Amino acid sequence: MARTLPSKQRRWRNAGVSISMVVPAVLIYAALLVVPVIYAFYYSFTEYNGFPTRVPEFIGLDNYRTIFGSDDMTGTMVITAVVAVVGAVAVNVAALGLALLLKRTNRFNTFGRVVMFYPHVLSALVVGFLWQAILGPQGVVNTMLEKVGTDSLPFLSDPDWALWSMILVIVWSLFGVQLILYLAGLQAVPEDLLEAAKLDGAGRWQTFRAVTWPSLASTVTVAVITSGISLLKTYDVVVSLTGGGPAGSTKTLAYSILAVSFPQRNIGLASAQAVLLILAAAVLSLTVLFLRRRAENDAESIG
Amino acid sequence: MMSANRGSKARGAALAAVVPLLLLAACSSGSGTSGGKDGEIRMMVNLTDNLDRAYWEKLVKPFEDKTGLKVKIEGPTGKSVAESFPQQLAAGTAPDVIQSIFPDDDTAPELVDLSGEAWAKGTPMFDAYAIGDTHFAVGVGTQTQSLVYYNKTAFKKAGITATPTTWKEMTADLGKLKKAGYTPMQTAGDYQTGLQLQQIYHPTLNELHPKWQSAVTDQKLTVGDAYKPAFQMYADWIDAGYIAKSDAGLNPSQADGNFIAGKAGLYTNGSWFAATLAKAGKLPFEVGVFSPPAADGKSYPGPQGATMANPYMVHKGASDEAGAKQLVEFLVTDPAAVKAQLGSDGVFRQESDVKQTGTDALIQGILDNAPALVAVGEGQGNVRLPVTGFNPKFTEVAQSLYTGASPADAAKAIDQWTDENR
Repeated sequence: MARTLPSKQRRWRNAGVSISMVVPAVLIYAALLVVPVIYAFYYSFTEYNGFPTRVPEFIGLDNYRTIFGSDDMTGTMVITAVVAVVGAVAVNVAALGLALLLKRTNRFNTFGRVVMFYPHVLSALVVGFLWQAILGPQGVVNTMLEKVGTDSLPFLSDPDWALWSMILVIVWSLFGVQLILYLAGLQAVPEDLLEAAKLDGAGRWQTFRAVTWPSLASTVTVAVITSGISLLKTYDVVVSLTGGGPAGSTKTLAYSILAVSFPQRNIGLASAQAVLLILAAAVLSLTVLFLRRRAENDAESIG
Repeated sequence: MMSANRGSKARGAALAAVVPLLLLAACSSGSGTSGGKDGEIRMMVNLTDNLDRAYWEKLVKPFEDKTGLKVKIEGPTGKSVAESFPQQLAAGTAPDVIQSIFPDDDTAPELVDLSGEAWAKGTPMFDAYAIGDTHFAVGVGTQTQSLVYYNKTAFKKAGITATPTTWKEMTADLGKLKKAGYTPMQTAGDYQTGLQLQQIYHPTLNELHPKWQSAVTDQKLTVGDAYKPAFQMYADWIDAGYIAKSDAGLNPSQADGNFIAGKAGLYTNGSWFAATLAKAGKLPFEVGVFSPPAADGKSYPGPQGATMANPYMVHKGASDEAGAKQLVEFLVTDPAAVKAQLGSDGVFRQESDVKQTGTDALIQGILDNAPALVAVGEGQGNVRLPVTGFNPKFTEVAQSLYTGASPADAAKAIDQWTDENR
């Protein structure tokens, strides 16, 4: 026989159950994500070598002054910005273009989707070594060029070429995920709107601009933000493809943190660099969201 | 019934909340001690193709048999021992014995001072690695840094009858090698660009500015001034086509391969390259080795850049510090253990009586004839630059010579970096 509880007691019990369900996730999230970020902020104002026997020494904004006063470190920030902006545009243009080509479901397109997604399955380190073997001074491409009597190309030995080669390799390794996002987004474009555009005599470009593109707004936002953040964190490909060279021309901020500042046990400086990277990711995300909101508002005001 | 069900759900939920936290706490709470289990000494070593786990286990087996202590060989948990040891120190899981790296101002307080150990005093380069009056590292021998390997067949075809002892002769020989159809000097990208430039210039630099790292620390010399002549020389060789510009993007192992294949006339490298040559088997040419040219007007050969080979250090927090010291004593003094290490991976020792042949014998001769062994790169012990991270930055600057920077710009760049990081 069921016994009915007073409503106040029931509400407390329900609240208790809800809290007990949420608290573990919140605590784990806080322990693994929030606490390290708070520590990074704290260490960024200290001089510390990371050893438990040493106490971090508070030095105020000195680490940030060092970063902005050093040509070396500001250079890595410029390179990171170029990689993130150019890479994000290239990844998304390539992914959207291919998604439009592969959106119909047939055997060829299914095979094409698998092939296009394949680079993302490889570890970024492997991708770097693979392309080193292809683009290096004695790589596959230059060996073939020499065989046909042409001069070899400085893919990895000239600073400008190396930067663009690295961006190309990163785009190649990243766009598989964005492709899946765009394919999913394209499946959600309302068929009746496409049908109506066709009946109205709209061409392919007009249909894309007036129907497909606006319908993909949220997908584009997610794809640009996720690819931009991935590109801001570029590290593995740098390690295995260029090692940050030649002459530091491909040294990104993440590479500088992990391969330079941390090995030098400059935990305070590395943390300050990491904080700047977090802020850059936040600025990127907020800018994309702001632009999308403004475009939506403009569209609503016109409508 | 309903209520009982709800109660059980709530208890289940509470358990679900608590268990992960307990697990998390269990994972994160260290005891604060490091080192191995009772009777076990943890030793972190640099594992390579030549010096694999089996090699190290065989090396310490007689020690285990003699003392009853168990030695656990561990590879680095990160890219290298240099990267892993500080990480493990921070995590409270540092090993008892650390091989292949040297003490510095940060790690010194975490290490055992071996100054009072009688057995440590006669070991190679013991005093060269002293920090103040304390000694944290003991080694087995020397890794000779400033060596130029050459292709004797290429020299013969180019009409070169003797190895160069001056920079003028060296430049002339590079021209002859180019005419004979060889890559005159093989260099490589990655870490090797800066390393090779330093290696070939060590003898001259130390003749012109003895203990140059200390002079930079005392602000009596700048790194740029010290290296400007070397930058000029490299820039001239790059302009003349003696060094390929594309080498800045070349993998070091491919550069090894080019020399082994007989394509290059000269190849600057350390004594460890002898192990690579030995592994390559029979080559299509005979390999020679010489010490790089001396400074103008100075005697040849100049001082040899050298680092302590197979350095060992004991962690202060070792669970069995006495056992760890015993192990290190065995590794650097036991005749069989020393002999085994001298026969591996380019490890040499001045006045060693270990029988050597071929390239190894040539390197031993260069080491024995060196007027002095000098600190390389960032320096060691009390002869050190006032910065850390010098070698990667120097490589970056050296690579800029390949990509069009002038020697003056290169010198300015390394000085600027040194000032920023001093």
